[in-house]
Amino acid sequence: MIEPISNNLTHAGRHLLSRRHFFGETGSALSAVALTHLLAEQRVLAVENPARVQIDPSNPHAPRKPHVVPQAKNVLVIFCAGACSQLETWDYKPELIKQDDKPLPGGPSVTFQGPAGNLARPQYNFRPRGECGKMVSDMIPHLGALVDDFAFVHTLTSKSNTHGPAENFLSTGFVQDGFPSIGAWVTYALGTENQDLPAFVAIPDPRGVPQASVNNWGPGFLPAVFQGTPFSSSQPIQHLRPPISISPERDIAARDLLRLINDEHLKLNPSDSDLAARIASYELAAKMQLSVPEISDLSTEPEHILKMYGADDTEDELKAGYARNCILARRLVEKGVRFVQVFNGAYASGGKLNWDGHQALREQYDMHGRIMDQPSAALIRDLKQRGLLEDTLVVWCTEFGRMPMFQKGAKGRDHNPNGFTAVLTGAGVKRGVSYGMTDELGFKAVENVSSVHDLNATILHLLGLDHERLTFRNNGIDRRLTDVHGHVIREILTT
Amino acid sequence: MYLKLTRGSRRTAYSTAQRFHYRQPIAFAAQEQIDYHDTILSPAANHPASTQHTMRRSLPHILAALSVAMLLNAARGDEFDFEAELRPLLIARCGECHGPQVQKGGLRLDARHTAFKGGDSGEVIVPGSSDESELLRRVSSDDADERMPPDGMPLAKDEIELLTRWIDSGADWPESDYDREAKRDRRLDHWAFQPFERDEGGGQKDEGKIDWFVEAKLKEHDLAFSLEADRLTLIRRLSFDMLGLPPTIEESERFQADDDPQAWANLVEEALNSPRYGERWAQHWLDVIRYADTHGFEVNTPRDNAWPYRDYVIRAFNEDKPYDQFIIEQLAGDALHADEATGFLVAAAVLLPGQIGKDDESKRLARQDELDEIIQGTSATLLGLTIGCARCHDHKFDPITQRDYYAMQAFFAGVDYGDRTIDDPGREARLLEAASLASRIREIERDLQLRPPVDAQRNDEYISPVTAKFIRFTTLATIDDNRHEPCIDELEVFATSDPARNVALASSGATPTSSGNYSETGKHQLKHVNDGLYGNDHSWISNEHGGGWVQIELATPAEIDHIVWGRDRNEKFKDRLPVRYRIEVSLDTESWQLVAAHSDRIPIGTPPEEVEALLRKRPKDSSIDVAGFVAELEGLKTKKNELEATRTVYGGKFREPDTTFVLRRGDPEQRLDEIGPAVPSLFKVTSSDTNASEQQRRLALAKWIASPDNPLTARVMVNRIWMYHFGQGLVATPSDFGLNGARPSHPELLDWLAGEFIRSGWSVKHIHRLILTSRTYRQSHYIDSHATKTDRDNRWLWRFTSRRLEGEAIRDSMLAVSGELNLKMGGPGFDLFKSRGGLSGFPPVEQFGPEQLRRMIYAHKIRMEPVPVFGAFDCPDAGQATPIRSQSTTAIQALNLFNSQFVAERADQFANRVRSVAVGDLERQVRVAFALAVGREPTDSEHQASLHVVNNHGLATLCRVLFNSNEFLFIP
Repeated sequence: MIEPISNNLTHAGRHLLSRRHFFGETGSALSAVALTHLLAEQRVLAVENPARVQIDPSNPHAPRKPHVVPQAKNVLVIFCAGACSQLETWDYKPELIKQDDKPLPGGPSVTFQGPAGNLARPQYNFRPRGECGKMVSDMIPHLGALVDDFAFVHTLTSKSNTHGPAENFLSTGFVQDGFPSIGAWVTYALGTENQDLPAFVAIPDPRGVPQASVNNWGPGFLPAVFQGTPFSSSQPIQHLRPPISISPERDIAARDLLRLINDEHLKLNPSDSDLAARIASYELAAKMQLSVPEISDLSTEPEHILKMYGADDTEDELKAGYARNCILARRLVEKGVRFVQVFNGAYASGGKLNWDGHQALREQYDMHGRIMDQPSAALIRDLKQRGLLEDTLVVWCTEFGRMPMFQKGAKGRDHNPNGFTAVLTGAGVKRGVSYGMTDELGFKAVENVSSVHDLNATILHLLGLDHERLTFRNNGIDRRLTDVHGHVIREILTT
Repeated sequence: MYLKLTRGSRRTAYSTAQRFHYRQPIAFAAQEQIDYHDTILSPAANHPASTQHTMRRSLPHILAALSVAMLLNAARGDEFDFEAELRPLLIARCGECHGPQVQKGGLRLDARHTAFKGGDSGEVIVPGSSDESELLRRVSSDDADERMPPDGMPLAKDEIELLTRWIDSGADWPESDYDREAKRDRRLDHWAFQPFERDEGGGQKDEGKIDWFVEAKLKEHDLAFSLEADRLTLIRRLSFDMLGLPPTIEESERFQADDDPQAWANLVEEALNSPRYGERWAQHWLDVIRYADTHGFEVNTPRDNAWPYRDYVIRAFNEDKPYDQFIIEQLAGDALHADEATGFLVAAAVLLPGQIGKDDESKRLARQDELDEIIQGTSATLLGLTIGCARCHDHKFDPITQRDYYAMQAFFAGVDYGDRTIDDPGREARLLEAASLASRIREIERDLQLRPPVDAQRNDEYISPVTAKFIRFTTLATIDDNRHEPCIDELEVFATSDPARNVALASSGATPTSSGNYSETGKHQLKHVNDGLYGNDHSWISNEHGGGWVQIELATPAEIDHIVWGRDRNEKFKDRLPVRYRIEVSLDTESWQLVAAHSDRIPIGTPPEEVEALLRKRPKDSSIDVAGFVAELEGLKTKKNELEATRTVYGGKFREPDTTFVLRRGDPEQRLDEIGPAVPSLFKVTSSDTNASEQQRRLALAKWIASPDNPLTARVMVNRIWMYHFGQGLVATPSDFGLNGARPSHPELLDWLAGEFIRSGWSVKHIHRLILTSRTYRQSHYIDSHATKTDRDNRWLWRFTSRRLEGEAIRDSMLAVSGELNLKMGGPGFDLFKSRGGLSGFPPVEQFGPEQLRRMIYAHKIRMEPVPVFGAFDCPDAGQATPIRSQSTTAIQALNLFNSQFVAERADQFANRVRSVAVGDLERQVRVAFALAVGREPTDSEHQASLHVVNNHGLATLCRVLFNSNEFLFIP
């Protein structure tokens, strides 16, 4: 992308670059060297990447243009923490029913948690759904009803079979701690349309934070301004309000005095943009104090909406809580928040608080399915009926899948990073299609094997971002969300 | 100059714009090659000098091309003058795409070793057989898509004939200087790999030298130094920069009035000698090595013994430990009585055994990941090299091969992560002293009559009958070092008249009071202490950590002889248990009588078998001073435990090294050949002994890194020091001095400083002193509009760049200004979260005792978890290394600083402090508040507005505002 490069150049450099005949020659080796040298001298190449994003420090969230015309403007991720089994949801394996309780020939004797037992049939019945007839399990009938809108990727693979690193991998492209999350990358690249709300919101499950916790929405080495802001329908943003001991009048007086003192200081240091940016940040904070409570206030939602999401469920407080988070997510997307993550499932707990069904999968999934299904489906339907799916990409995902065998002596499945499912819908995504296949028992991906990098490359692609060009220099390396991997899964895209 | 040359070469050559769209299968690879070599990898991109050199050489080549036709006539028979006939031909007709700058299809034809090696699709010259030589096929093809060169004139008939004859005759190509030069890896010419001048100056320090170098660059860019900053700015700058704290009013006034020409130099010395210096600068080092007090990843459990390394680093900076020694200790401290220092090796996040798959593949991968962190930490921190990039393939930019990576790994092949006993010299003496206490302890225990230790479930106090109306239970300490407020689920009192009737029950008319309650709602209200219901759900908790009292007033005075209390009769909870307590009774709440206490009980925590033994030995009757003996016993035991305690650090654990293998694509399942320890081949150091012991391996590496001959070590460190002073390094990529890193803005200055560093005996403080006393450092930060146009980023140092304080310094400075800062140094540190690690989230601590008011470097660092309030100020997460902190400005920062309880409380304390020095005088209070926070008088309008606010909303409002002001938060 030439534009950012030229922004970085001196006047002379820009002049040179803009001269057509000069460009006409850049094909020649020597002139390429010349251009390179010119750029290097102006610290474009040597220090920063050519496609480096230009951030205005006084307005870091200003909307920025993607690399190409995007299909999607916003992203909504439904993240099922704890590794939701592909075999109990989207990946129908009739052969596994036949092989129930038989050993997997040539299968591993030891998996992540210990000795492997026999194959175990899917714990729910499957039936054809929608017009496309996609087989989906009875655990998630509401989501199943939407399959005509979905594109399935059945062959995701992960680099780790441990929850924390695998959640890191899904959200940051690296198994290690400390890399920027996808939402941070996206807001770094694109800024946001709504300056009164955070650009990137992470909505943790009512039961707690996911296993990799803040890594899923952290900034890594990107400037902290691009991190996700965690809040939910029940947990407000920290420090949004002053302590109760400080009255509104007192607060306003403090704000005015601060402005005066900062202005006096700025007068002595004119043209210091860092100082100006800090003053601006207090103004944005003041706006957020109004806009965030407003958006979190679900009391304005009509009865039928609460019902549709299941937010009125008085029997199941967890479901109602998750449903309220889903409504909040819709409201954020509606207001133009760039990236929204909704978590379903919390941290390790023997499968009690998330999808980690090692021991008693059916029993636990009955509960988790009930919590996740109706609200998630309602969220997608609601976005659709409001026309928001036109420019919003929705991704349902989980950090890895589960084994077709039960663990020895248990009624649950162990970790399996070799073939699991993600679901996409919305802007730029084909409807009612499935990509890739796992083997007949669902043990590993065998056809059109893809990786989490591919999923992330595809998400960026739909936002108009080239995952190979979206980079940030850290510790001597131009880092990318997709490390040195990733291919856009074009087969599930409309264009 | 070379732009002209470019155009010239175009005229002589071909329309190359089209050639980029060259349709051969190799074209794609070829284009990538261009990016690779010309934009980044080629020395040209990093060496303007060598670019010009290359360009100059091109000219004769082009001239040579023009005369090829003439030279061709000279060829005859089977004898060739290669240099006169063949090479000019190859250069002129093939060189543009297959020459030194560009190697389309991976093919370079102008140099011997590459020409015979061929390209991506194989050999192109088969000596003796022109028929089999791809080169001949392509230059003589009739197919325009196949024929080379792809554009412009095809090779002339005689040119093709010359090539044919040469190949058929055996393709004799005598190696010349040209070929030898081509073979040399020019990446090795990279500036940072070259030695620097070390003996200049003969150890003499040269005070004006920095300014001399800087001024030369300023002049080059038509810039000049700014004026010297005013004294207030200077002392604040120095204090924040060196100590991370603002100067006190007294220090500031003294310096502003000091007319000694040495005033600044003296102030610099004071800063260098302050223990606060080490606390400030150690944080920089901890950023780079990703220090944390938890293990990271999903479980993120506490790393309880990480802190001795943190303290070691603080000490090292304060003592000005020579940097070479600092390096050696961190890599091989086990050999040098510096076990704490080995925390460096294992500073990264690590998967604990339970988090690694039980299958062998998972284990091998986890081990490789552990070692990778050590390699990355060592090479990036100490050498500014990204050796970690060569784990799966040769380094993309630097001359570091994948073999180099695994040779590096072999140095660490015997290093494990774990707790290491600190073998310090005083240990033996301490053990002897501990042994000497043992006999006295035995003596007391023999004589003593003791009751069993306190019990969380139930404690019976049988007392001599006494008439009481009030019974008061006072907690003096709770279990776990007063971690929580005490809890009592029920306090029961029995009268002699009716031993079965609890007269303390509310239903019997008794009423409870207390020193304070944890809560007025929920499970732990005061009323629960005598509601007759047992268990945690009906219990009373005090509002004071480790203290507080509860008292029962009986309906009528009664003679009592039995009191029962417990923490949780239902046996679920054992925390919050009072372990030191007393029970007193009174008739009028004026005079109290002690009836029971912890002092005649065996201390809790005594091993069960010992308890049993003590109880067995308990004499039937005794008149000994139980309380006195118990106190002595407790004291002796504590002392003995302290003396005997082994101190441990989370550091390197060393064992027989595993065999190291080169791994194909970094995959632990794909072993290639075995490899021994060696430093990267680019340094041309003979590899160390493969048979060396584990410790010798690390020592050898450490000594090589810490050698004055190492071209990187000193440069990298002085650059870091420079960066922390000025906000940007002379090399803008402090952990990457490789080919893809930034070039130094002031190469001569960098090298001179590196030389000074070594000449001074690797004294970090010497470098500080040189920098701090320079004119460059003392410049004003004022932004000059003319200079901004030329150098917006202040790369040439025409001013001092002011910048926002880091999160730690903001917190520390608030505490300093509010007068609450606790300067206790060292030790395990304090918690900013209610949990020290683990899965269940990190609720922030909301009550701040003296421990929590220590400097933030002593806060237990939870990996990946942003610190409440201050983490948003770009505090590193200790996931990946942070050689440079980003400086972002966010609304969340504003919310945290403006609205948090912590800042509100500090503002209250700040206001209290101001009031105490300017009692009743609001005008003066405003001035004192400004002086404490920003070191100056308020302007008239500030004073007026502040006074108005103080009058209407209180002094704390002004204090809250000052804590949020830009002036308070910036290093000026």
